[in-house]
Amino acid sequence: MQIDLEKKHSELKCFFEPNGVAVIGASRNPEKLGYQVVKNLIDGGSFSLPHLKGFSGKVFPINPKADEILGLRCYPSVKEVPEEVDLAIICVPAKLVPRAVQDCAEKGVKGINIISAGFGEAGEEGRKLQDEFLRIAKKAGIRIVGPNCLGTLYAPNHLNASFGGFLPLTGEVAFISQSGALMDSVIDWAVKENYGFTAMISYGNKCDLDAPDFVAWAANDPYTKAITLYIEGFNDGRYFLEVAKKVSPIKPIIAFKAGKTAAGTKAVGSHTGSLAGSYQVYKGAFRQSGVIMADTLTQMFDLAKALAHQPPAKGNRVAIVTNGGGNGVMCADFCEELGIELPSPPKELIEKIDKTGKMHPAWSRENPLDIVGDAGPERYKVALEAIMSSDVYDGVIVIQTLQTTTRPVEDAKIVVEMHKKYKKPVVAAFVGGVVTEPSAKYLEENGIPNYNDMDRAAKAMWALIEYGKISSKRR
Amino acid sequence: MDREQILAKIEEFKGREEKFLPEPICEEILASYNIPTPPARLARESKEAVEFAKEIGFPVVLKVVSPQIIHKSDAGGVMVGIKNKKEVEKAFDKILENAKRYNSRAKIEGIYVQKMAPPAREVIIGAVKDGQFGQVVMFGLGGIFVEVLKDVVFRVAPIDKREAREMIDEIKGLPILKGIRGEEPIDFDSLSEAISNVSKLVIDFPQIGQFDANPVCVYPERLYAVDARIILE
Repeated sequence: MQIDLEKKHSELKCFFEPNGVAVIGASRNPEKLGYQVVKNLIDGGSFSLPHLKGFSGKVFPINPKADEILGLRCYPSVKEVPEEVDLAIICVPAKLVPRAVQDCAEKGVKGINIISAGFGEAGEEGRKLQDEFLRIAKKAGIRIVGPNCLGTLYAPNHLNASFGGFLPLTGEVAFISQSGALMDSVIDWAVKENYGFTAMISYGNKCDLDAPDFVAWAANDPYTKAITLYIEGFNDGRYFLEVAKKVSPIKPIIAFKAGKTAAGTKAVGSHTGSLAGSYQVYKGAFRQSGVIMADTLTQMFDLAKALAHQPPAKGNRVAIVTNGGGNGVMCADFCEELGIELPSPPKELIEKIDKTGKMHPAWSRENPLDIVGDAGPERYKVALEAIMSSDVYDGVIVIQTLQTTTRPVEDAKIVVEMHKKYKKPVVAAFVGGVVTEPSAKYLEENGIPNYNDMDRAAKAMWALIEYGKISSKRR
Repeated sequence: MDREQILAKIEEFKGREEKFLPEPICEEILASYNIPTPPARLARESKEAVEFAKEIGFPVVLKVVSPQIIHKSDAGGVMVGIKNKKEVEKAFDKILENAKRYNSRAKIEGIYVQKMAPPAREVIIGAVKDGQFGQVVMFGLGGIFVEVLKDVVFRVAPIDKREAREMIDEIKGLPILKGIRGEEPIDFDSLSEAISNVSKLVIDFPQIGQFDANPVCVYPERLYAVDARIILE
């Protein structure tokens, strides 16, 4: 199977950077989907939030019975729009969809988000309608997202071509989701967490475009640095495998697979048949294609955050720097479980630190490097400088607990400074709440992923190590 | 067996009610994919079994061959550790008796006399067709481990030797294969090749629905697939 990633990117560009967007089934009634979609395009969302901005390109509502919707001129048919239309969003009832697709074909539309439901998922009648519009689209070379989906969002140009609540903050992670409802909640959560995205794609019944197509697109999206996937199943597993093999060495792919207990292969008679649950097979396929598998959705975004902002680790030897013993031990335990090595600091390194005269005499001289509870930014600097300049370590986990002498933001600044200087992968665990928050925010704004739990920080470091192996397979 | 011969066998058995190939044929197919199996011959009668056992060398294993019996052990159709002529005769009769009791309509094609593999670390190599990915290959620790611990890994077929080695490295029981308490490591090279070859077999013959080589006995310098099962689609 030959996959041309650049070709895929230009083919799907109409969904993310369209010249002109038409809404077929636009409505004046605020209760209707056709109204929400127009509002999403021009305001970025149906809720009023400070980060929201509308799409800067042209929007054309299509409705034969209206002259104007939300202040925009309305057209009776997409064919009558006097300007270019790359993307159409269809939200008319199912039985009218083939006709709408036909209009799009005549207009020269390149991509369509079909939000309407009542097709493949709704029995024989629906399947016939789906086959019908698909035939029209194929003939015209139109690509389709959906039907029965939320649609596509692209934060870098404020394009909310969906009926999802609102645009996320602009970040560096793409989210491709088989579930639309899930995507809505993720956006809401992410804005609160200050977690940004590039593209968010809900592809519903995947009658045409499927997850691997979007992964292929994301490979060449200049804003996307990590690709996340919520997967229930693929149309063609082998197509995904080929795409992922090609993309994973270029950009990290992190997937969460739902349906752990569902019986995929109902083969009996052989041992292999009885063991081949779909989850097990997915696990193998993901390993094989360089996809990092997350155990939970939260973990998927945790790992994506680290992978999008930190360089991959060249090996699995990690140092833990901490101002609190308990967290250091906990973190070491989690690292060990994940196969992360924690080599002891060599004599020269200890001497180098001691010679500065800035360390507490009782500092651990072991890994975790416990720089003692009263540590200030200066001690973090001495420890980090020594570790990051050493060949013994491939990455660092920096822990900060809040004690009376702790200066969180200044400590965070040291971490950022050291990372900039040495470029070694860093994961932070500045743990706490109200007082720690500004430092956590500072870290994240400067590309250092921060976690409030030791297991999460260790797992993020593990992902950087895994991706080091995957990206070294780049051909 | 060459490609044509394997295809002919598949065609022959595809139409039957029981869609699995008899063990002697499975082992011939394995041999043509460079997966060694212990020396063995199919005996039609007791006298012949004794003759074959002597020729192969004791100890031997006797196994029932019948198109109606896929789970040979369940039918009492396998006897191991047979050390002399007398034991062969006894086992031969006992297996026939057990098989008849297990399924009175079972047609017995013969008794397979196979050289008994010395004690070994046992693994399973399998393959199955997955609804999403098509042919997938499986590897894990064999014997009781496969049933209890389910310590197995999958890959989408076909895979090369390097990818097969990655599968081996992924199982939790890897230290067992590397050798514990001074035990020598198994022949990782031959094992990787065998897994890769199974993945090629199921791609070459998409008519194969399920495949098991269980157990595969692995030693420091070789391996034997001691039992194999091919179920057609």
